[in-house]
Amino acid sequence: MRGARSAAAIGLAAITWAVRLVAVILVIATFNFILVRAAPGDPAQVMAGQSGAADPKILEDLRKEYGLDQPYLVQLGTHLKRVLSFDLGYSYRQRRPVLDLIMERLPATLLLTLTAFCLALLVGTTLGALAGLAAGSVVDTLFTVLSLLLYATPVFWLGLMLVLVFSVTLGWLPAFGYETINAKLTPIERVFDIGKHMIMPVVSLAAIYLAIYARLMRSSIIEVAHQDFIKTARAKGLAGPRIVVGHMLRNALVPVVTVAGMQAGALVGGAVVIETVFAWPGLGRLTFDAVLQRDYPVLLGIFLILSIIVIVLNLATDLVYRLIDPRMTTGAA
Amino acid sequence: MNRREFTAAILAGSAALPFGITRAVGQTRGGTLNTIIQPEPPVLVTALNQQQPTLTLGGKIYESLLKYGPDLKPMPGMAKSWEISPDGLTYTFKLFEGITFHDGKPMTSEDVVFSCMQVLTQTHPRARNNFARVASAEAPDPLTVVFKLKQPFAPFLGCFDCTSAPILPKHVYEGTDFRKNPMNDKAIGTGPFKLKEWVRGSHVHLVRHDGYYLKDQPYLDEIIYRVIPDAASRALALENGTVQLVQWSDIEFFDVTRFKKQANLEYTTNGYEYFAPHQWLEMNNRIAPMNDKRFRQAVMHLIDRDALNKRVYFGNAKIATGPISSKTRFYDGNVKKYEYSLDKAKALLDEMGLKPGANGKRAEIKYVVPPYGEVYQRAGEFFRQSFSRVGIDLVLVGTDMAGWAEKVGNWDYEMTQNLLYQLGDPALGVSRTYISTNIKKGILFSNTQGYSNPEVDRLFEEAAVALDEKKRQELYTKVQQILVEDVPVAWTLELEYPIFYDKSLKNVVTTAIGSHETFGVVHKS
Amino acid sequence: MDAVRAFLRHPSGMAGLVLLLAVVALALLAPVLFPVSPWEMVGAPFTPPGEDGMWLGGDTLGRDVAAGVAHGARVSLVIGIASAFAAMVIGVVIGAISGYFGGAVDLVLMRVTELFQTVPAFILAILLVATFSPTLTTIILTLGAVSWPPLARLTRAEFLRLRKREFVEAALCQGEGTARIVLGHILPNAISPILVVTSLTVATAILLESALSFMGLGDPNQMSWGFMIGAGRTVIRNAWWMSVFPGVAILLTVLAINLFGEGLSDVLNPRVSRRRA
Repeated sequence: MRGARSAAAIGLAAITWAVRLVAVILVIATFNFILVRAAPGDPAQVMAGQSGAADPKILEDLRKEYGLDQPYLVQLGTHLKRVLSFDLGYSYRQRRPVLDLIMERLPATLLLTLTAFCLALLVGTTLGALAGLAAGSVVDTLFTVLSLLLYATPVFWLGLMLVLVFSVTLGWLPAFGYETINAKLTPIERVFDIGKHMIMPVVSLAAIYLAIYARLMRSSIIEVAHQDFIKTARAKGLAGPRIVVGHMLRNALVPVVTVAGMQAGALVGGAVVIETVFAWPGLGRLTFDAVLQRDYPVLLGIFLILSIIVIVLNLATDLVYRLIDPRMTTGAA
Repeated sequence: MNRREFTAAILAGSAALPFGITRAVGQTRGGTLNTIIQPEPPVLVTALNQQQPTLTLGGKIYESLLKYGPDLKPMPGMAKSWEISPDGLTYTFKLFEGITFHDGKPMTSEDVVFSCMQVLTQTHPRARNNFARVASAEAPDPLTVVFKLKQPFAPFLGCFDCTSAPILPKHVYEGTDFRKNPMNDKAIGTGPFKLKEWVRGSHVHLVRHDGYYLKDQPYLDEIIYRVIPDAASRALALENGTVQLVQWSDIEFFDVTRFKKQANLEYTTNGYEYFAPHQWLEMNNRIAPMNDKRFRQAVMHLIDRDALNKRVYFGNAKIATGPISSKTRFYDGNVKKYEYSLDKAKALLDEMGLKPGANGKRAEIKYVVPPYGEVYQRAGEFFRQSFSRVGIDLVLVGTDMAGWAEKVGNWDYEMTQNLLYQLGDPALGVSRTYISTNIKKGILFSNTQGYSNPEVDRLFEEAAVALDEKKRQELYTKVQQILVEDVPVAWTLELEYPIFYDKSLKNVVTTAIGSHETFGVVHKS
Repeated sequence: MDAVRAFLRHPSGMAGLVLLLAVVALALLAPVLFPVSPWEMVGAPFTPPGEDGMWLGGDTLGRDVAAGVAHGARVSLVIGIASAFAAMVIGVVIGAISGYFGGAVDLVLMRVTELFQTVPAFILAILLVATFSPTLTTIILTLGAVSWPPLARLTRAEFLRLRKREFVEAALCQGEGTARIVLGHILPNAISPILVVTSLTVATAILLESALSFMGLGDPNQMSWGFMIGAGRTVIRNAWWMSVFPGVAILLTVLAINLFGEGLSDVLNPRVSRRRA
């Protein structure tokens, strides 16, 4: 009986999520479309202009080719129809389908952001928990100061400083790129090679989130420690470590998971800067280039994909939330 | 190889060995060249896109009929010989035998006619203007191409380098939408290197075309172009040997001095003769106060171009004296000189009535910063300080590429900086900026500043159709004198982009297009 | 007055305040300390720190880095404060309407807020600044436009909480107008957590602005810290001082604001402070 009800609840939640996903996609797609079209700058002009001495005929051809001569409403309609069928259009600067462009850059970005995310979450919560349990000690103060500093450091500047120390001065780590090209490595060597290239981008991207999670975890642990049920458990004489693992961590993680889910999108945003500093061949770099080149289809595609990723991550967080928080019965408020 | 050695080699060469370049001996065959491509090109088909990175990469893949020596004289490319009729109207090219495309199909005169007349006239703005002068193009036999012009055009023989007239396979493109042809991804040409793999955002891998028509060429096995968007990273790559060749703006100007001292590297500024990048401060001649000749002359006086060269370009430039670069043909330096003098600038401004107001300011002018990198930004900051010394406020306006193109192309700007290539002949690369028939709204790199002088129009037109070199020089000398007096734009510098390459590489810079060249003769020692 | 005394006893809050006052002093005194424009090329390119009268060194064109850092403080503070204020205005209006009226209005406004939170703030900022071309005004408005959602949510939560309180109910019974209730009764009681979060928004705005300038999307007529680091990035091998010092300036300023804001928060609203952590 109870199982059936929860299955129905999950089914309902799934439908709600699907509807929200589509609605948000449509709204974001429209929003992007209006904003980008409102921008000054005619894409046909740039396309032809850069080639040398363009000609009105060529400009006209380009406008026709990309439907830029159609009324905006027609363009928008076509755009939305396409978006829903996962046709993200064709990039006239790169001369390739947008989805291809995004998909080939996505793995590098996901590798970078997910590694940074996991690092920040694991190290951040561990440090935060340690600091919270030892609240008031020297270690706690040290962690607090460190996280305050990291929280105030510009991501790109941290990356640059790492380059200055570990590449320029010490020569220990490669300053840029994803792997050593044409190094003819064995698969295992290649993994290590990529790993070595990843260290600095990942650390600089993770730093700020690490600081956030550590501070959240610290205060969360302190707060949970003062809650009644922990006090009750203590009074009952349950062993200290068991309380920590069984109750405190589980409860303390709730706000961290919530915030982590909310910041998944911001993490991808941070990747734009970090990928610029480290010449990392991912989606962040593609975003920046697309903005500078006014590559409309690519921009729209990236924003759409990012939004979907964020929504999916929110869903994932919601699930984790249900798993770790026993009090949770209905969807997130 | 320096220029004199090169010329000597040319003279010693024969038709069978058209490049007259040290031929690599057995043990130098093979090897990999790692270099940089920046920014990543959108496509490799040079017929479709003529941005610098596309040309650098596509130059290895697509060849044309001719090459040009550092003196801009034609040399054999895929054409082993050529003839011009005495009336200057008929050009006959004889092709080498055994040329094949990367897909194994033979390349014939049909492909040349198709590429020049069908494809390039639609997709290549520069070539479109050139081939618009052709009345008919024919392929009487597989190895002969005949172009008949509507009227004489002096620089026609200068239109066949691999960046201006790349040859594409007719069997792939005929009857298709050239820009959307899926085979564009395969980039099939006849050049010494063919595309093996393109990992977007990372690298482009070229390998030798085994069916290349010149014996033993190419000498290298492969070329890898790495995409490195970050300038500091590019410098590091050259420094630690990850790449062995850099070109154009791969290395920032401030780093040139440092790399000149690096023992394993060779440095040259040769190989840019065809382009001769010419830079100027562009002023919209339609708007006050830029519509007054005295104002524009004052601008020439108030910019310390020597300091501009030293501080912004770190000495990697020569001061420009007028519209034609000293690195190209028909240059004449005997023109009016504008030395750096704030007093003269102020005097001219006073004379035209642009006196300082109550706040000490004479005028406020918007300057659109071209979105092509940091050096342009620094130059804008330099100009702003220069103008402030005579009481003119230059307000820098940042923009993206589309915004810049639209503002300049549609004449919706006051001042900006511009850089144009001279393309080997004033009729191809210089006149377009000054003749009134090329005032075309919406088109970049035309006479965007709106300068108009019937005398200048006449001189450029006569020089374009005159076949006698001496006559052309006279006409171009005259036009240079008039333009320098009128100052339609304030010429600043002739940029000297560096090429650095590892000393183990030979024959890197052999022609006037330098790093855009096919690289069939490049080898490792 | 108790709050002031409590703040004076708050060690990290006071440290933040002192540091912040130092930054403000630097910003105010910049024209006195460095009367020559920070754009003026006063020395040789790449002058190392300490030489030629430039104790933080010279940049690519021979401009004084110290002058840039001092004048940059003005730009960063102005942009930070103005955009946080813009964010506060937007956030409070939306949050207040949403929290006070509830129902369908609340639902729609919260969906809009969610939408703005879904698109990563920095990418949205890049898009907006690139679209409307980077000037001081567009940057401030953009940063305001991407920073308001947390303020809207906070305001909404405060309004939801306060609307049920007796004094509001009483005012409603007495037939007071909506505007009077909102401005006269609810807002004054919600203002202190809003001010705390706004002060912290200044720090985020400074960081966002520096990242925009670093990417080349700053106002080209303003000598800002992010711009200086961006200009120093490519020459990091030749002149480490060009990127190190402006970065330290950002770090210290943001740190100061965070410490100050958190101290304020601890003193004024222990409840909000604990929840926000």
